[in-house]
Amino acid sequence: MLNRSYYWLITALSIPAFLWLIPTIWMVSLSFQPNDVLARTTSTTAFGLIPIPFTADNYVALFGFGQTPLWFLNSAIVALGMTLGVLAVSTTAGYALARLEFPLKRSIMVLCLVGLMVPEQAVFIPLYTMFADLGWHNSYHALILPRMAVPIGVFLMMQFFRAIPKDIEEAARIDGVGWLQIFWYIMLPLARPAMMTLAILTFLYAWNDYLWPLVSAREPDRFTITLGLASIQSNFAQSEGLGRVMASGVIASLPVVILFLMFQRYVVRAMTAGGTKG
Amino acid sequence: MKHVLMGTALAAMAVTGAAAQEVSLGRFFGACEDAGTDTTTSTGEACIIQSIINAADAELDGITVNTLPTDWGNYYDQIVAAYAGGEPPDIHVMHRHRVPQFAGLGALAELSGDLEAAGIDVSDWAPAALDAVSHNGGIYGVPMDFHANLWHVNMEIMEAAGLVNDDGSPILPTSPAELLEHAAMVEDATGHDYLAADFAQFPIGVRLVLSLMWQQGENIFTEDGTATIDSEAARNAVTTITQLFDEGYADPQLNYADSQQAFLNGEAAVLVNGTWVVDFYAAEAANSDVALSDYHVADFPTLFDEGATWADSHMWAIPASLKRDDPETYAAALRVLAFINDHNIDWARTGHMAVRNSVLGSEAYAGLPHRDEYAGTAAIARDTPAAENYGAIQDVLNRELQAIWLTGKSIDDALSDAELEVQDLLDG
Amino acid sequence: MAMNQQRKGRGLSQTQAAAILLVPFLAVYGAFLVYPFFHGVWISLHDWNLLAVAFNPDAREFVGAENYIRTLWGRNIEWGPLASPVMQTVGVLGIGLAFFGFRAGRLSKATALALGIAGSLFVLLPGFHPGEDGRWYDRRFWPTVGNTITFVALAVPGVTITALILAAALDGETRAKAVLRTLFFLSQVLSVTVVTLIWQIMFSPRQGLIANLTEALGGSPIVWLTDQQFAMAAIVIATIWWSLGIAMILFLAGIQDISKDIYEAAAIDDATGVKAFWYITLPNLKRTITLVVVLQIILHFQVFGQSHLMTQGGPNDSTQVLVRYIYQTAFRDSELGKASAMAVFLFVIMGAFSLVQFIVGREEE
Repeated sequence: MLNRSYYWLITALSIPAFLWLIPTIWMVSLSFQPNDVLARTTSTTAFGLIPIPFTADNYVALFGFGQTPLWFLNSAIVALGMTLGVLAVSTTAGYALARLEFPLKRSIMVLCLVGLMVPEQAVFIPLYTMFADLGWHNSYHALILPRMAVPIGVFLMMQFFRAIPKDIEEAARIDGVGWLQIFWYIMLPLARPAMMTLAILTFLYAWNDYLWPLVSAREPDRFTITLGLASIQSNFAQSEGLGRVMASGVIASLPVVILFLMFQRYVVRAMTAGGTKG
Repeated sequence: MKHVLMGTALAAMAVTGAAAQEVSLGRFFGACEDAGTDTTTSTGEACIIQSIINAADAELDGITVNTLPTDWGNYYDQIVAAYAGGEPPDIHVMHRHRVPQFAGLGALAELSGDLEAAGIDVSDWAPAALDAVSHNGGIYGVPMDFHANLWHVNMEIMEAAGLVNDDGSPILPTSPAELLEHAAMVEDATGHDYLAADFAQFPIGVRLVLSLMWQQGENIFTEDGTATIDSEAARNAVTTITQLFDEGYADPQLNYADSQQAFLNGEAAVLVNGTWVVDFYAAEAANSDVALSDYHVADFPTLFDEGATWADSHMWAIPASLKRDDPETYAAALRVLAFINDHNIDWARTGHMAVRNSVLGSEAYAGLPHRDEYAGTAAIARDTPAAENYGAIQDVLNRELQAIWLTGKSIDDALSDAELEVQDLLDG
Repeated sequence: MAMNQQRKGRGLSQTQAAAILLVPFLAVYGAFLVYPFFHGVWISLHDWNLLAVAFNPDAREFVGAENYIRTLWGRNIEWGPLASPVMQTVGVLGIGLAFFGFRAGRLSKATALALGIAGSLFVLLPGFHPGEDGRWYDRRFWPTVGNTITFVALAVPGVTITALILAAALDGETRAKAVLRTLFFLSQVLSVTVVTLIWQIMFSPRQGLIANLTEALGGSPIVWLTDQQFAMAAIVIATIWWSLGIAMILFLAGIQDISKDIYEAAAIDDATGVKAFWYITLPNLKRTITLVVVLQIILHFQVFGQSHLMTQGGPNDSTQVLVRYIYQTAFRDSELGKASAMAVFLFVIMGAFSLVQFIVGREEE
């Protein structure tokens, strides 16, 4: 298995992988360089990829005064809330549409399918006026709810449930198990791989969403990290130094990156498990 | 609801004198997170304003000031959205050219009756400052500065090109032809560009062209709302600049950060930028690591018939809804404005021109670095003509001008296109 | 009916269970998607100034289709077969391909139909142009749509192809592959503002890494973000770097679903490596590819942050995209009615596209 061509492949792929990493390395390196040096040149040592001259001042300043930790917390709350919300409504509706027979099923499916075509950015204006009328802006639920209404998760789950063989369910029915119990005790555990995929997609979406928070969150105590960073970077030439801005970028990214690295093994395993489901 | 609760809380606490009134404040200028509360030593717009705000927060009893995000790019979009959402900040900064848009809709509180009680002496404001915050006979804000475009000059390069007067001031052009001559002299002597400015991103190029049109006694639209951009004056103004690009004496592709960097690196003799960077450049010039060492400021030179340079004012406003619904916070907001008004001299340290006569006449003001070098700017400062959607108009101009110098669109096409679009915007 | 009654003894009927399971989703769906959508259409039929209406709810005025006309149409608009020769030629070629492909049996009916319709649109739409003394009422709108399509047309194949190749190469259980997968996925978890922050400075002609490298090699740096030729390329590069990860994960999942037996059987016939990729992986991944492409198109058609933060739509509007234009029209110019009309247009485009994809996808099943 581990023959020569395998090592060739790995070596060949290491080069693009390194190139892929360079922008990130550069950000980290710049964040450890003094601002007054960066104002003159960003390529002191090895094109700036190695932080010499070195300073940790940017981080000290950031933790001393910054709102970055708060923004990060907000992002985490919104992203987790959105992920749980999307999982809850998508698994339930997805199962019902995949496996249950009921009146109006086709109409509901078509309705949801049509909703798939409505880009979120096409409804953000009416959503804005609606949330303004309700006085909901500047709140976590204002940031979470609109995404829960997007039917893509329902379809993802529906397709997954459809692929599960019916025998398990039928056996349970014969034993007198109710539909909700089947959903909860049999289907949900089986759906873990698909739920994991959906959760990752949703979490990343929430983390990266910019337009809706830009419109809805106005007070800095409800800013997500995405929004907070945008507010810092638009003026970096005039106020804070490049190093400081990069340091906030690093701080903003570090926890997600760590979370992802810890999480990833499980993700991969979940996907492999999904692959051998039969 | 929040305000009602806070009002009640304040009423309850006022008895004991331990009220904590929160005032939210919206501003641009960028973030300065470690500004401290010393208003007299901070440098740069962001840190000076934040130090004044922090000082207000610390020194005003019973008032905490909560600074909202300081993002430049989306500032007005966000303020509009905040007003439309019914939750604007309790005080916010704005430009005078936006007053017609906001005051015209009744968004801003009319302050004239309450300023004196808050300790703001309107009679101390320079007439032009009062004018800046006035709309239809009412006062809709507290002015903070006049700012204008200046020429920031690297004297080392000017000297090398022989463009220095006996008194040590730079020799600046008095006509478009002379501009080209000077640029050639700089190029020959040093190989550097004559002029740098942000022609590629923010509307500094628009402000340049506006100034040059005004210098010919023309404007981009008339008071009755007719666009006059496709004109001889505009063509003259634009070619004055494009001749530099054509000869390679200036680089149209630099944005704000890059043009500033070019100037600080000693790669351009002149940077066209606002009053807001004077103290910053002075501080940079004092740094031995920075190539720019002999820094001088000059009034925008007159290249045509009369002196004119683009100018505007920063001012602070309070939402009408606050005055109407929440008198306690309104009173607190006014106290914060009074505090900012009292620190006009600190704000002037940025390089901006003060608005209060008592400050303008003070020795401290006259003694600010480089201040005497652009003393003539106040006299030639010109405002953008008032229009409700000036933001969109400026955007059209910026786009079409960029099309000329970045993408080679013909001047005639660009100006006629700009005139059409601006006319559409004026017609609403 | 009879079945439901028969099962009543075992708790809830299917209908009742379905109702319980569907209500949470349908509630948020109705409240935060369906209702806003129709409300948006309603707003688009009004002259509706965001600020003015906030202060005086009666300040809106019903104007019918005027916002649509002001956005999409112009004065003295004419149609000519040669108004935009390149795009129209592409359209004619598309129609031809659809026709002959179908006749030759290489294309299925739905694919041919979709291709034919797309081709016809390419012939039809670019043919409109202002005639003598004519003009578009909104001269920015169609170029903005064009920019958005350009962005999608560059970013989607870029992401899809790169992700597919990487997924095929990195499928496997070894530690080295896992590490490489992680590296390529890593940029995906960064938020759009971090990505634009990094790349803004990467591309800077004075401070940028790319410029520094070019200068070290003796070249003169490209002014990426303010040069009309490169600005779009710059945001596409940043986008590909950023959004490769999810596509790669989806492809990896798809590849793992392909039975190992097929590969083993093929290996006997000496089909490994690139050959196996071409003859086994690709055909078996058809559905995943369709899914990824559709997801990407939907995602990238809504591009906003990259353009808004890196180039502010410039230079000369060359990176102005539809969502940014909608945002500006609504929140800078306060013209909610017109912005909503554009949003409805965005919906129509995306809807039409989804429909075509849906038909094609169904046929393949």
